[in-house]
Amino acid sequence: MRSEALILGFDTSAAHCAAALLAGEVLLEARFEAMAKGQAERLMPMLEEMLARAGVGWRDLAALGVGTGPGNFTGVRISVAAARGLALALGIPAVGVSGLEAAAFGLPRPLVVAMDARRGEVYAQAFDPNGAARLATAEALAGELVTGQAVTGSAAPALAGAVPGLRLLDAAMPLSEAVARLAAARRATPQPRPAPLYLRAADAALPGEPAPVIVP
Amino acid sequence: MTRTLTFLGLESSCDDTAAAVVRLSEGRAEVLASVVAGQTELHAPFGGVVPELAARAHVEKLDLCAEEALARAGLGLGDLDAVAVTAGPGLIGGVISGVMCAKGIAAGAGLPLIGVNHLAGHALTPRLTHGLAFPYLMLLVSGGHCQFLIVRGPASFSRIGGTIDDAPGEAFDKTAKLLALPQPGGPSVEAEAARGDARRFSFPRPLLDRPGCDMSFSGLKTALLRARDAVMQAGTLRAGDRADLCAGFQAAVADVLAEKSRRALLAYLAENPPTPAFAVAGGVAANRAVRAALETVSLAHGALFVAPPLALCTDNAAMIAWAGIERFRAGIDDATTLSARPRWPLDEAAPAMLGSGKRGAKA
Repeated sequence: MRSEALILGFDTSAAHCAAALLAGEVLLEARFEAMAKGQAERLMPMLEEMLARAGVGWRDLAALGVGTGPGNFTGVRISVAAARGLALALGIPAVGVSGLEAAAFGLPRPLVVAMDARRGEVYAQAFDPNGAARLATAEALAGELVTGQAVTGSAAPALAGAVPGLRLLDAAMPLSEAVARLAAARRATPQPRPAPLYLRAADAALPGEPAPVIVP
Repeated sequence: MTRTLTFLGLESSCDDTAAAVVRLSEGRAEVLASVVAGQTELHAPFGGVVPELAARAHVEKLDLCAEEALARAGLGLGDLDAVAVTAGPGLIGGVISGVMCAKGIAAGAGLPLIGVNHLAGHALTPRLTHGLAFPYLMLLVSGGHCQFLIVRGPASFSRIGGTIDDAPGEAFDKTAKLLALPQPGGPSVEAEAARGDARRFSFPRPLLDRPGCDMSFSGLKTALLRARDAVMQAGTLRAGDRADLCAGFQAAVADVLAEKSRRALLAYLAENPPTPAFAVAGGVAANRAVRAALETVSLAHGALFVAPPLALCTDNAAMIAWAGIERFRAGIDDATTLSARPRWPLDEAAPAMLGSGKRGAKA
């Protein structure tokens, strides 16, 4: 029986199933499987394979970390729903970690994380005292950045092409490992249940034609 | 002495997030708790269910509903024998959220997981509420579905007819939207219809002139729009006209369902079932005019008429837990590789009636 707390972090916010298992500070297992679809079928068996290889079971876990996006809406929900179900059954906390926080983890601050959100937009967060996660046009974000600023994330290279003198940083570690390490750091204090971080509103059109006015 | 079975059920295929605990003990089924968290207000401004909004709500409510159901039942996960979850058909974002939450609960608690067809949940409900024996005739009539089934066993259904386009519940919602009535349309149109004259407007009874049990409701929506526009003046509609439109529309739906039920009963009774019964489920079965028309037809043909209580007629998770128990007893088991299916006809042997292509038939 291990004495260090076992933390399992996982993420399906993009075209992958990714997970990392920590014992205290030690990374026991890590997986990254690229897939455009099939995450809902693959996630649980993949996690069970990792636990089995480490010689542990679900009941040995002390906490879960789960990537909450932003990213593919359905993909984010796959992991968040599984994490909430597991947390309920195991009686352990599930800690939500955004992909922006995970990308920034282990890198020097100040730092701007910019992830490609398609449609000419980026998910962005400045890791300084005032930075909040947001959706912005790539153009608008480029306009805010200045020479010498450190940027990371999938949209960073394109930004570096538009803004001279940006410092491009690689992620300090794989996404799922960062999710697990952040969850490990936060689990000591009460955490809200993990919820997806969409940043982008749902596609929903209000009815075009007005309803009739009813008169006596 | 048969084994006692206690199941947790989860349902999230449309706009209700639901969890329930159902127990079968010594041949008696009991709903120990049934929690339904609706999303009516969320979708009301859009005049229909918005799939992405529904999925966003489900993923943050499913575990809360499950906890609430267990608490109301006074049970822990250790008291359960399995988890059952709606694996389709329905809005895929919600179905996937439910399936993943259920996989998490089942894995964490070390319980078997049973994937349930949402329509099987509705179709098997009369056995939960009334202990009906197989085979019985079933009409599923809701916002998303309309079909006649002969229910022969926990996983054996013969579809003998259904809608070739819209479901009646959808037509009720659309009618409410066109007539400035609140959603969901079923209750609000029914309340207006009670004040109206059903004979004033003549609405079509589609497909009554054709043999068989298939139905069509999309033309009825168009007919209602035309009739409304003919009596509207400068964007205004008189309250009395609205009541008459509702009454006429409801009468047309009830007439079509009653006549097609009569034909479905004849087909079913031709098989000489030992204890003939006709059961309804789905939100539209809550409409009193529809229900009365169906009951009349059923009794006229000597079949027991069964309408489960409204809370078990509309979407709920007790029916999913129960269908899980039925599947489990029949020896049908699913692993954690269980997949969510947006389209999943109950009767996979019947020719496709709705939808095709790589995603397969809807019904």
